[in-house]
Amino acid sequence: MKQPEQKLLFESGNELAAYAAKQINYHVMGYYPITPSTQIAEFLDQMGADGEHNIALIPAEGEHSAAGICYGAASGGGRVFNATSANGLLYALEQLPVQSGTRLPMVLNVACRTVSGPLSIKGDHSDLMYTLNTGWVILFADSPQEVYDCNICAVKIAEKLRLPAIVAFDGFFTSHQKRNCYVFADDEIVQKFIGPGMENVGVLDPEHPVTIGSYMNEPDLLNNKYQLHLAMEKARTMIPEVFSEYEQLSGRTLSAVKAYQTEDAEVLMFVLGSAYLTAKAAVDKLRKDGKKVGVFTLGVLRPFPTEEVSKICKNARIILVADRQDSYGAGGGNMSLEIRAALQQSGLTTRVLSRVYGLGGRDFYEKDAISLFETCYEQDVPAFDYIAVDPGEADFVPKPYFAPISEETASGLTVCSEENGKVVVKGGTVRDTTARPKRLAPGHGACPGCGIPVNVNLLLRGIEGNVVLLFQTGCGMVVTTGYPKTAFRVPYVHNLFQNGAATLAGVAKMYHQRQERGELPPGDITFIMVSGDGGMDIGMGSALGTALRGDPVILFEYDNGGYMNTGYQLSYSTPMGAKSATSHLGSHRWGKEFFHKDMPRIMAATGMPYVATAAESDPADFIRKAAKAQYYAKNHGTAYIKCLSACPLNWGDKPNTERKVISAAVNSCYFPLYEVEQGCTTISYNPEQKDKKIPVEDWLKMMGRTKHLCGEKYKDVREMIQQEVDRRWQRLKAQSEHHLL
Amino acid sequence: MDPVSENKRHIAYPICLPKVNENGCYEMRLESIGGLGANLCGKLLGELGAAYLGLNSASFSSYGSEKRGSPVKSYVRWSEPEQEILHNSPVERPHLLSIFHQALSKTLPVTAGVGEDCVLVVNTAAYPEEIREELCLYAGTICCVNALELALQSKSRVNMVMLGAIAKASGFIPLEAVKSLVEDTLGKKYPALLENNLAGLEQGYNCVQSRTFQPDGRYEQVPYREIRSKWGYKNAPLGGANPHIGSTVSNDLSPSREGYIPLFLPEKCIHCGLCDTTCPDMVFQFLPGEYRGKPSMLNRGLDYHHCKGCLRCVDVCPTEALVAGKEFEHPDKQWFVRNKDLIVQDIDFEPAGADPWITGESYLDEKRVDGGLM
Repeated sequence: MKQPEQKLLFESGNELAAYAAKQINYHVMGYYPITPSTQIAEFLDQMGADGEHNIALIPAEGEHSAAGICYGAASGGGRVFNATSANGLLYALEQLPVQSGTRLPMVLNVACRTVSGPLSIKGDHSDLMYTLNTGWVILFADSPQEVYDCNICAVKIAEKLRLPAIVAFDGFFTSHQKRNCYVFADDEIVQKFIGPGMENVGVLDPEHPVTIGSYMNEPDLLNNKYQLHLAMEKARTMIPEVFSEYEQLSGRTLSAVKAYQTEDAEVLMFVLGSAYLTAKAAVDKLRKDGKKVGVFTLGVLRPFPTEEVSKICKNARIILVADRQDSYGAGGGNMSLEIRAALQQSGLTTRVLSRVYGLGGRDFYEKDAISLFETCYEQDVPAFDYIAVDPGEADFVPKPYFAPISEETASGLTVCSEENGKVVVKGGTVRDTTARPKRLAPGHGACPGCGIPVNVNLLLRGIEGNVVLLFQTGCGMVVTTGYPKTAFRVPYVHNLFQNGAATLAGVAKMYHQRQERGELPPGDITFIMVSGDGGMDIGMGSALGTALRGDPVILFEYDNGGYMNTGYQLSYSTPMGAKSATSHLGSHRWGKEFFHKDMPRIMAATGMPYVATAAESDPADFIRKAAKAQYYAKNHGTAYIKCLSACPLNWGDKPNTERKVISAAVNSCYFPLYEVEQGCTTISYNPEQKDKKIPVEDWLKMMGRTKHLCGEKYKDVREMIQQEVDRRWQRLKAQSEHHLL
Repeated sequence: MDPVSENKRHIAYPICLPKVNENGCYEMRLESIGGLGANLCGKLLGELGAAYLGLNSASFSSYGSEKRGSPVKSYVRWSEPEQEILHNSPVERPHLLSIFHQALSKTLPVTAGVGEDCVLVVNTAAYPEEIREELCLYAGTICCVNALELALQSKSRVNMVMLGAIAKASGFIPLEAVKSLVEDTLGKKYPALLENNLAGLEQGYNCVQSRTFQPDGRYEQVPYREIRSKWGYKNAPLGGANPHIGSTVSNDLSPSREGYIPLFLPEKCIHCGLCDTTCPDMVFQFLPGEYRGKPSMLNRGLDYHHCKGCLRCVDVCPTEALVAGKEFEHPDKQWFVRNKDLIVQDIDFEPAGADPWITGESYLDEKRVDGGLM
C-alpha cells in the first residue's frame, strides 16, 4: 500500500496535539487554561482565527465547567476535545466517571504536572494516576511524535469502544520540547482514518428521544459497570488493531508495551514517559560494560497490558520500577503496584524494587538511570525508596531580616465611625500612611511596573493592626512566595484559584472559635483575600458563598484583565475585542467576543454590606475604601473591593505609563469608581462633573492588546464596547440617585 | 522509499556534524535573560537543524514563568538522522555556549561543563582576552560579537545578530541556511522586518572576533552541577511553611533594570508620598521628621537594590523631584537609603537577573518577534 505524503515539522507535544485536533476537526473543545497544557487551546485558537478549522472553542470559567461543556457536547454525539493538567484535572475529576459511565466518547489530553500543594508548575505523574479508576482508556506518549500519533488513534479507539480516552504525556519535557516529527500533509488522510464518527446524535434527535444519565441503583448499576469492564476488555484487542492500521498508514509503530534490550536482560527497569528515552541511553552504556540490562515502558495504561508486561518480565532476575509519583503509604507509585500485581497474576515471583524520582519536574539524567540499574546489583537495598533527595545543610539557620509587624506599629493612622448608615473615615492621607509598615517586603519577582504590589500596598495602607493574608493562585502569589523565599512579613496562606474565599472564611472562623475557647488571646486580626488573574472566574462561587454567609473577611480583587500567570489567556473580565492567547485576531476572529464581567454588581447582588471599586489613580480614595472595608468586615459582614491592575507585559504598554492608563479607564467610565454601602450606591468620582470624561477608545488605544480596535476595521466592535460602557454608567448613575436600585 | 525519507531529499543544506559527544549529539546551550530572545534563537536553531540541515533536532528552554529580566537557558541538541536523541535533561557539556548578556558571567555559573573544545559566543564589546578573565574560563574558543551595537545599527535584534555569530562560530552552519530559515519563518510572520533581520544576521556572521585558549592552569574547569537547597528533608519546616518572613529582601533586582533609574532631587521634594503609592517595589524610605515646621513623614531616599527601573515614580512626581537618569552615569547613587525596616546589618544579596543595558522598546520588540501578542 502506498503511504500518504507526510511533512516534516519541528514542533512540541502541545503543538502536535493541537495539530492533530485541527486535522480531526473536532466539533467542540471546552477548556480552561492550566500550565503546561494551555498551549493546546492557544494554538487551536490561533489556527481557528486563521480559519484552519471549525472547532468551537469554549473557554469555560473553570475545569469543572470545561468538563461539563465537553460532557454536554458529547451527549450530542459529535467529536469532543479537551486538554488539562494537574489540579485542573483533579477539579474536573468527578466528571470523568460520568463521561465513561454514560459511555460518551471524547479525547482529553493530559500534559502531566505535579498536583498542588505546595504548588509547582513542573511535570510529574501525580495528576494522571488519579484517573486510573475512572473508566477511561489511557494512552501515554513519550515523545512529541507520539502525542500526534496517539491523538489520531485515540479518537478512533474511543468511538469504537464508546469510551472516552486520555492521551497523556510529560508536562514540559514532552509538551514543550520541540522535536522533528512528521504529520500527514493532507488533513483528509486523518479524516479517512478516523471515519465519519458515530451516527448516534444522542439527545439532539427529537424523533428518537433518549434519556441519558438515569438514576440507577442495585441491581442495575453493577450491570452497567460490568458493561464498562467488558468494553475495557474489548479494548485489549481493539487498541492493537487500531495501532496496526495506523502503522500501515504512517509507518510508525505504537504499542501497549515498548521494550528495549529486554529479551536477555537480567535486570529490568520500568519507567514511564520521556524518561524512557534517557533510560535507553543508560542501557546502551551499561551493555557496553557487559551488564545485561533492559528497559520497558507503557504506551497504554488502561486497559493495563498485564500479559505483555509479564511476558517481558518473565526471565528477569530483578525489576526496578521508577515512579514519577507516589501512592503514599503503599510502598510505591501506581505503576509499581500495577506491575507487581501483573507479575503475581502470571505466577512470577521476580523481586521488584520501587524508586520514586523526578517529582516536581526534577530532571532525569542519564546518571540517574545508571544509578538505578546499579541499585539492582547491590545487596540489601530497600524495596522502596526515593532517589536524589537531599537532607539539606544541617547547620543552616536563616537569619531574620525583619521583626514581625506589631499591632501598635501598624495602627493609629485611620479611624472609622458610622453616621447615618454610612461609614466615615478620618485620617489616612497619602502622606501620613507612608508610616504604615509594609506588610509585603521588597525583592519580589513581579515584572517592572506591575500593578499587583501597587494595589495590594494601597489596600494595606488603609488597614489597621494585624492582618492575615490569603492569596489565590496567580501572579501575585507566584512572584512573592518562590521557595525558599517569601515576601510576606505577616501570616499568609495560599489556596487554589477556586477556593480562596472559603479558605479564608475557615481561617477567620478558627480565629474566633479559638478566642471563644480561651486558646487565643483577645484582640483583632483582619482577614484579607487577594485574588486576580481571573480568580473571580473560577473562584466566583466560593466568593459568592462567603459573601452570602457574611463571613468577616475582605475579598480583594486585582483585576488585570486576563489569566496573566499562565501567559495571558482571556478571562471574563478581559475587555471585549482584546487580543489574548485564546482570543487571537485573524481572518475569522476579532479578539475576545463577549463583554467584560461586572463583578462588583454580581457581588453587590449578594446583599453584602460593602462593595467598592478603587483605582491607583486616586490613591487617597483607595486607602479610604480599604479602611471602610475593614470596618464593614469587622462589624457587618463580608467586604469586597475590586481594582483595575496594570500588567505592562500583557497589556502591551510601558511600565511608567500605567497610572495614566488606569486613570483613562476610570475617566472613560470603563472602570467607574463607586461604593455600595448597605445596598446604597455612591459614585466616588464622576468624570463628567470634572469635565474629564473621555471616549473608551482613548483608553483602548493606550494598550497593545486593544489598539487594533481603534482602526476603521473594528469600528463596530468599538461602538459596541462604548454602548455597553455607557449603559453601565447610566445605570450606575441611576443607582446612585435611587437608594432602592 | 517511505514517505519520511522521501521528505528528507528535500533538505536544502544537508550537512554532517563535525563533532558529537558519546551520545551522538552536538549540543548547544544559550544563556540569557528574559527579553533578549534567546528562547526564540534556540527554537530557530532547532528548526534549522531539523528542516534545513537534515538533522535530528531537539530544542527546549529552562521552564518557569518567563518574566522580563529573569535568567533563561535554552538548549539545542542535534544528531545525525539515524541517531535518536534520547536525552531530555539540560545540556551539561555544551559544544557551543552562547552568552547573550555579558553580565551573566557575574551572576550564574554560566561556564559550567565547558571543556577545551567548547566554542563560546559572547555578546560583548570586549575582546576575547578580557572575556576569558571575566569568565575565569578554563579553556576554549571565545568568539566575541557586539550584538547590541550591531542590532542597533541594523535595526535588528540581539538574537538575530547572535544567531549569525553562532553560525559563524560553529564553523559548520552555512549562513545561507540560516538566511533561508529566517526568510521562511520570521519573514512570513513579520515581512516588514525581514530586511533588517537579515542584515543583523549577516553582521553577526561577519563581525566575530575569536581566540582559542588552551588549558594553562590559570583557571579550573567548572563542572556541571544541579542547584542544591539549604533546606532539605531533614531541616525544612514541614509542609513547605516558610517562617523566614520578608526574605525576598535579599534579592538584588538591579539586573531587572533596563538602563534607567529614578534620580532623586530632595530639594524639590514636597513629601507628598505619591511615589510610594506607585512604586511596585517598596523602594522609597519614608521616615518621621519635620516639614515646613510640622511633624511629617519625609522621603529620605531610595533602596536601589529593589528598584526595577520601571520609572512609575518619575511619571507621578508632581514636582520633578524624581527624574529619569541613565544608570551608568550615576554609579554612586547618591540618594541610596537602605530599607528602613531591616534588622540585620549585612545581607548577602542574590542578583536576580543581569546588569542594565537594554531599553524597554527593545523588549517589546523581542516580545513581538517571539510570536507574542503585541
